[in-house]
Amino acid sequence: MNAIIFKVAFVLSLGIFMVPNNAKQLFAFIVSLILGAASATWALQVLISGESMVINLGISFWKENPTLTIDSLSAFFILLIDFTCLTGMLYGWGYLKPYFQKKSAMTMSLHLFSFIWLQASMLQVVTMRDGISFLISWEMMSLSSFLLVIFEGEKEATLKTGIGYLIQMHVGFFFILGAFLTVFHETNQFSFDALHTYFLDHNNFGLFLLFFIGFGIKAGFVPLHGWLPHAHPAAPSHVSGVMSGIMIKMGIYGIIRVLLELQTEVYGIGLFIVAIGILTGITGILYAIFQHDIKKILAYSSIENIGIIGIGLGAFLLGKHLQRPELMALGLTGALFHVMNHSLYKSMLFYSAGNVYYATHTRDQNLLGGLIKKMPFTAMAFLVGSVAICAIPPFNGFLSEFLLYSGAFQNIGKASFSESLISIGIILGLVLIGGLSVFAFSKAFGLTFLGSRRYPEQSHPEEEVPLLMRIPSYMIITVMMLVAVFPVFFLTVAGKAAGTLNNSVLASVLADTGPALQSIGIVNCILIILFGVIYFLRNLRKPSVDIQVRPTWGCGYTAGDFRHQYTATSFNDSLRQLSDGVLMIDRKLEPLGEEEIFPKPHSFSTTTNDLIEENLVLRPVNFIIKELPRAGWAQTGYMHHYLLYPLLFLLIIGLLTFLNVF
Amino acid sequence: MLSIVLMFVAAIYFPGIIVKSKAMFSGRQGPGILQPWRDILRLLRKGNVFSTASSYVFQLSSSIYLTATLAALLFIPFLDQAPLISFTGDFVLFAYLLALGRFAIVASALDVSSGFEGMGANREVLYGLLIEPAFFILMGSLAMFTGHTSFASIFQELHYTSYFSAMIGFIAAFIFSQITLVETSRLPVDDPLTHLELTMVHEVMVLDHSGIDLGIIKAANNLKFSIFGMLSANCIIPRTFGLWEEILFYLVLQAGFAVGIGFIESFRARNKMAMNPQFILSVSAIASILIFVVMIINNNL
Repeated sequence: MNAIIFKVAFVLSLGIFMVPNNAKQLFAFIVSLILGAASATWALQVLISGESMVINLGISFWKENPTLTIDSLSAFFILLIDFTCLTGMLYGWGYLKPYFQKKSAMTMSLHLFSFIWLQASMLQVVTMRDGISFLISWEMMSLSSFLLVIFEGEKEATLKTGIGYLIQMHVGFFFILGAFLTVFHETNQFSFDALHTYFLDHNNFGLFLLFFIGFGIKAGFVPLHGWLPHAHPAAPSHVSGVMSGIMIKMGIYGIIRVLLELQTEVYGIGLFIVAIGILTGITGILYAIFQHDIKKILAYSSIENIGIIGIGLGAFLLGKHLQRPELMALGLTGALFHVMNHSLYKSMLFYSAGNVYYATHTRDQNLLGGLIKKMPFTAMAFLVGSVAICAIPPFNGFLSEFLLYSGAFQNIGKASFSESLISIGIILGLVLIGGLSVFAFSKAFGLTFLGSRRYPEQSHPEEEVPLLMRIPSYMIITVMMLVAVFPVFFLTVAGKAAGTLNNSVLASVLADTGPALQSIGIVNCILIILFGVIYFLRNLRKPSVDIQVRPTWGCGYTAGDFRHQYTATSFNDSLRQLSDGVLMIDRKLEPLGEEEIFPKPHSFSTTTNDLIEENLVLRPVNFIIKELPRAGWAQTGYMHHYLLYPLLFLLIIGLLTFLNVF
Repeated sequence: MLSIVLMFVAAIYFPGIIVKSKAMFSGRQGPGILQPWRDILRLLRKGNVFSTASSYVFQLSSSIYLTATLAALLFIPFLDQAPLISFTGDFVLFAYLLALGRFAIVASALDVSSGFEGMGANREVLYGLLIEPAFFILMGSLAMFTGHTSFASIFQELHYTSYFSAMIGFIAAFIFSQITLVETSRLPVDDPLTHLELTMVHEVMVLDHSGIDLGIIKAANNLKFSIFGMLSANCIIPRTFGLWEEILFYLVLQAGFAVGIGFIESFRARNKMAMNPQFILSVSAIASILIFVVMIINNNL
């Protein structure tokens, strides 16, 4: 029954092109809701019954009949996809309204159509197991997200970013294709199910690396993260919310599918992922601190969170090798829990950043400030998201990081030297990431919403966004609070998804962790109640108490204005001095001349270059571009020369075959 | 429960002793022991001045700071007396609760649109970032030594495992006291009595807090002192006495700690601001030495 609904939704999506302009959004929302409802029913069924489900879609393309196989891992991701796309669709409904006047009906239809197909293709990615259908879905996901990113393609920079994104996605695609072909060559099966047989009697690391690079480009592991900080700011906010919230997690999904099948060399692969995870986390958040564009901050922080998830996955493998059930169970469950948490608060943060852009038409922190008075709700949502993403209680972000900490600390007590060192490495990585994210998000929130506006001229009224754009954040905050207060329920869900509950040893670890999470839930309640009481008592004063509103303390200087505030650049300066050797931040300063008694206006600017992107992508590409003209002598412009080249090629191939070189 | 009462008792006389001892070292008689708390009570009754730039974040911040500090109290045991809440990994939550308080104060500092307070906020998050590894390495090595992962069970175990406990305990207590100096902004990291905004860390963030808000923040700071004091005491006090002797030992230890801080603050100058990151990182370095000591003791190395 549901399969038919699913197919009907596919067909219905075409209807977007036909309905009139004012009904397009509603229509797209309904189609997305149908897709969501059908898939979420399956997912819930699987999670409750604990048995996986195979659904025959009854569409035949590419020789075989693609089926949807839903196990608990797929079910977990399906629920996240549906919820994130639901909030994204709702938010986009409000966010896109002004664009309907500016853009053609065709552009808008194409945009909404791609949005639905992004959701549909992600649902297929997590449910299709045979290689061909998986790769087709994967490609559909890349294409639809590409169309979403270039929504404002009339801007040259956006189009360029979009094309860069498309290229990098295809580099990833070919790595995954290569990996599947390797498996096919050895086992004659083109499917995830064949991995098990392949890994049993082949080198595990090589194939894993192929998959890891392919999926890692999507997920944004450093040094494969090049597209992320550019594509997220270029895309409209509901798209970046969905992309960062859930689409990059498709890479994580792929990696989990592969690493669940690994047989040998688990230790090396585990160490590799932990190291990459810590590198990704620290690099991501360090670069986030030095950005001035709020959406770029959020994009780099997504990289950081992918790093945290990576640490969990690596810990799982290390635990598997060392036979430490607590490291294993808490690593994988913590990683999945973090996938869920991050999909919640990161999409909300992107929606709030979208609100800021919607109201002020700028994303530059050095031009913003004091928005909390004009947009109190947006500020609140951003604040909640910031606190949660720093893993600070009483919100949900703490719980998943706690699981990872807990796994590492429990391993530390009874382990040998090298194992303890790994645990300490994991703990230190998480601590540094945590401290740096407090730095990044106190700045992201404080400089955007607090203080006063850093640039006084504004051409249009800045006001709170309409209710429609606030509803998604209300929904997300509700779910976040549910996670924070009833963590054990969500631990069970994540545990089911991780499959750890099927193994009695791992299940007992999760059962032991239950009380700890329950206590955290209780502490979260205590925090909220205690805060209420203290705040109530604070305000419970005699009315005779004198309360005044005066200008900020200026150390006796009374002419202070907004220019005396800290800017994003000055807030970073202390950390810049500490990390100068690592980051290489360009500073351009016009110094005062010696004879300059009455100073003229001077300028100072800093730019942060992504070192990894610079050295790994830009430098080789620039080198190639510079060197390629040398091959220009072959381009003579004569047709008979061009015909000669294939002939020469065939001759060489023939000769080599004749000499039996291959 | 007992530990909470003891921490409140210490919080009451601790700041007074610091002030008193500083006065004595400089040859003055100084105010009474309870004067800091009389100041706080007076602040609670006074009116407020809010900055024109400030918003609801400023109004909420002091209460969040106190809430976070009070919640952190719940995890701290007193020797064998269990705390109110204890579970595996509770010290992780403890550290993140302190981060919650820090986030609230930093947000309120950025809310008043002042150059000074932005500077203080920046220093606070930087020092917080640098000191957190020390705490986690220390707890990691204690967990490794005792094989337990909660405050209560670690401190219970610490004094029963072996003769090495005393040594580990003393190093741990030293590191805790260094963390205290950074977390509560005392010399040599920060001079709470300086009158120059440019050299302040914590004080500069609360320049625009007044009346009841300032009172709440000062009270929470005093509580923070006694939290870390209790952690150090847990590492040091041997379990050979009865309960009453232990309580007495604890109170004397806290008084001694306060006199020690008074002594340091009377006889040494504040670090140069640029030296502070180095100083704070050295605490983490000492903590990593501890972890290797523990590995040697456990025959892991």
